Amino acid sequence: MNVRTAVVLAAGEGTRLRPLTENRPKPMLSAGNRPILEHVLDALVDAGIERVVLVVGYRRTRVQEHFGPDYRDVPIEYVIQDKQLGSGHALLEARDATTGPLVVVNGDRVIDSGSVEEVIERFESGEDEPVMAVIEREDAHRYGGVRLAGGEITRLVEKPDPGAFRLINAGIYAFGDAIFDEIAATSRESGELALTDTIGRLMEEGRVAGVKIEGVWVDATYPWDLLEVTSEVLATGRVSEPPREDGVWVAESAAVHADATLRPPVAIGADCVVGPGSVIGPEVAVGESTTIGANVTLEGSVVDPDSRLDHGSTIVDAVFGQDVHLKADATIPGGPADVRVDQEVFEDQRLGAVLADRVGVGGGVTFQPGSLVGSGARIGDGAVVRGHVASGAEVVR
Amino acid sequence: MCGIIGCVNRGERTLETLVDGLERLEYRGYDSSGVSLLGEELSVTKTAGKIADLRAALEERPLDGRLGVGHTRWSTHGPPTDENAHPHLDCSGEVAVVHNGIIENYQGLRDELAGDGHTFTSDTDTEVVPHLIERALGRGASPEAAFRDAIAQLEGSYAIAAVVGDEEAIFAARSDSPLVIGVGKECAEGDREYFLASDVPAFREYTGKVIYLDDGEFARLESELAVTDSDGQPVEKTVNTVEWDAEETGKSGYDHFMLKEIHEQPRALRQCLSGRADELAGTVELEEVDDVSPSSVHFVAMGTSYHAALYGVHLFQQAGVPAQAFHASEYATVTPPIGDALVIGITQSGETADTVSALREARSRGARTLAVTNTVGSTADRECDETLLIQSGPEIGVAASKTFTGQLAALNLLTLATVESGRTRRDVVPELRELPGRVQSILDDSNAEEIADVYHDSRSFFFIGRSYQYPVALEGALKLKEISYEHAEGFSAGDLKHGPLALVDDDTPVFAMVTGDDEIARKTVGNIKEVEARDAPVVAVTDGQSNAELYADHVLRIPEAIPRAAAVLTNVQLQLVAYHVADNLGRSIDKPRNLAKSVTVE
Repeated sequence: MNVRTAVVLAAGEGTRLRPLTENRPKPMLSAGNRPILEHVLDALVDAGIERVVLVVGYRRTRVQEHFGPDYRDVPIEYVIQDKQLGSGHALLEARDATTGPLVVVNGDRVIDSGSVEEVIERFESGEDEPVMAVIEREDAHRYGGVRLAGGEITRLVEKPDPGAFRLINAGIYAFGDAIFDEIAATSRESGELALTDTIGRLMEEGRVAGVKIEGVWVDATYPWDLLEVTSEVLATGRVSEPPREDGVWVAESAAVHADATLRPPVAIGADCVVGPGSVIGPEVAVGESTTIGANVTLEGSVVDPDSRLDHGSTIVDAVFGQDVHLKADATIPGGPADVRVDQEVFEDQRLGAVLADRVGVGGGVTFQPGSLVGSGARIGDGAVVRGHVASGAEVVR
Repeated sequence: MCGIIGCVNRGERTLETLVDGLERLEYRGYDSSGVSLLGEELSVTKTAGKIADLRAALEERPLDGRLGVGHTRWSTHGPPTDENAHPHLDCSGEVAVVHNGIIENYQGLRDELAGDGHTFTSDTDTEVVPHLIERALGRGASPEAAFRDAIAQLEGSYAIAAVVGDEEAIFAARSDSPLVIGVGKECAEGDREYFLASDVPAFREYTGKVIYLDDGEFARLESELAVTDSDGQPVEKTVNTVEWDAEETGKSGYDHFMLKEIHEQPRALRQCLSGRADELAGTVELEEVDDVSPSSVHFVAMGTSYHAALYGVHLFQQAGVPAQAFHASEYATVTPPIGDALVIGITQSGETADTVSALREARSRGARTLAVTNTVGSTADRECDETLLIQSGPEIGVAASKTFTGQLAALNLLTLATVESGRTRRDVVPELRELPGRVQSILDDSNAEEIADVYHDSRSFFFIGRSYQYPVALEGALKLKEISYEHAEGFSAGDLKHGPLALVDDDTPVFAMVTGDDEIARKTVGNIKEVEARDAPVVAVTDGQSNAELYADHVLRIPEAIPRAAAVLTNVQLQLVAYHVADNLGRSIDKPRNLAKSVTVE
């Protein structure tokens, strides 16, 4: 039976990406001026999926508003998971919205259509047995470690010890509709129902096929990973703005001053303004309706929609949420830096600063490498910012 | 308002196409519906109530046929009953007619036909039409000639579609009521699918190629399409392409269209401003009004659009241009001296009968007219000298939300492009560009739902504001009335103590819009103290610059903005309050009782 339907899991926040996820779920974070989820839907549509069921929950209006009732002529049905009780629970919520076999994917990682096609082909050639895509990753300890033998999944360990596994669960599956009964029959762990628990059980019965994929697979675990994600998306040209020259994508409605310089790869979104003397790029994505003043240097950075960067600022390796306002002469000199998240320290990360949604920054402010500023925080004129600034906080010089 | 759908050459999908089309017209508001198909013979099913009731009736007794017409009715002549629902038939049951609008001379025609022995089964004005056709047929006329003969006898406003005898065609005509033809794909043997509707979404699923019928024109839909004038001469029509998706009529995960449309406002604002407000150059480019430079302005509008007009008056007056706003219905009735004023009609649908009529009156007196509308190809768009499109995208909820926001943004562009100084443009354009992000911040953080939880069972709701916030106060009250059915009034803050204050007590929350920290804000804070002293709960809608919060029981926060932009923001908070109050009370938010989206009768 042919697989025509896909269920996309997009209900979770992605807490390790805070403060960027305070107003939208991880699938809606930007990867080259487009939400990660849009890349996922591209992969599904390109692989021949004809109907998408989106499981939404945390800050779901952001997903609904962006995609509306269809994407590239493929109808989208929204299923609401009110409480985020695990990926198995999320999929179970979609039961009534599907018929027949289905592809299931996580909505928060950039994948390509080839991977989806391989999973579908494997499923269609089998006898309704579940199929899981696996991929090789150096940081397998962050994901579900997997062993693959003779085309079957033989081990599945969540967050294994570093070095113990080389393959991970890529979060792309195909199932027959029997999967819903299997999930329902899986016992909950402290109230949560993980899809991998069900798959683990089926695996022990020797019934889960594995497909090793080698296509694009890009994930962001921490805020600074979005810089890498953007680079990857730009490098593979997965950009919706029209190309102006090689590696330079500029929306038709954007106004770039004749004396501004765009250094590839760079993407400038709809209705953006770039003032004279500014140098944007390389490795930069500027979201729609952003206004960049004169003589701004912006390099290796992600800027989300509606931001405003005034004259003379220098910004390197920065991740900006939506509607960030920077007065003149801000300085973000860039990484590498040691970044502390909760109790963990990440050494030598490429990160100038993370400024979450609606941060307001006064004139002449300097950000030390690795600064993390929560949404809505206010930074006064001339301040020097280091480390964490809580959401809504006010920093004065 | 009523809705029409028709289709030919759809084969077995004829019935499904008609009923689905009626569902897509639901947003216009209706109280009964029906369909008629021509198969071996002409058959009709019609019911009072929801489309679901019609579907149920059709399940019991399915109709089949190769072409047909359908109708959603919003009662004007006679109550919503099965008999009064369209399509209406003649005595023989061989002519079926659907109609939007009002036939003013129907009583005389009806008496005359009854005298000739025709039997009427409904209270409607429409029913005279099939009988007129029957009479002409009886005198030996061909189906098309009979249809033309009937139409020629009608006075009033109408869009009419009819199936006559066993002629495999739909006949249509219009006068002052919208009617659009959809050109579908070619099917077997060179035949083409054609659709007919009062509004594009009814058939948008099948085609985006449309032909707008004009007043006095006739259309004949069969294997080919023929459009003719009243003398029967062929008319060359242009085929337009519509870019709106029918799917946009889906709720996509929201409980109501209105909530969806409230959340679409950042996008709607971007669309309105895109390519028009140029921050780099400090200019506003509106090709539509290139040579407009009014020395004075008359606005004509109704309902929410009238509140946008009041806001527009303020913009023009601030720029030193005398401006007035009128209810279009009054303007058409008691037209003031126009002089050399530019007459601007604001109408979301472009079909609002009162506004269209006021604009016609102004034109007949030689005035230059400008339509501010959301609908390309609408009557207002086609008849006015110029059109400024607000670019908000389709709005399905009967209560306007994103289109009011779009109207305010468009009016800003209009005054910036025509009468305001370069200095003002440089100051205001960045503020307009900030609006989508600021509206998004309200949508992300609003506590309107909690405030609605506290106050939804209040006796009355009052809204006060000054300057640009005065129209917002009126609109906030209208929104609440429309969808919650609760009593609400908006006042200019200063007028409160001249009477309305007598209504205020501890069960009448007062929503006060206070932005900035100038003389205007201080005066409104004074008015807040007046109501606070009468024990009224106060909800301050504020950017926090003044001390209004000191006197408020609750606060709805907006980002700081210049006064004219702040009005857009406070209104978003009030939309959310109205929505959540109505939701709390379990109201039919998208289709409030007694109301229609586009009011096409005067």
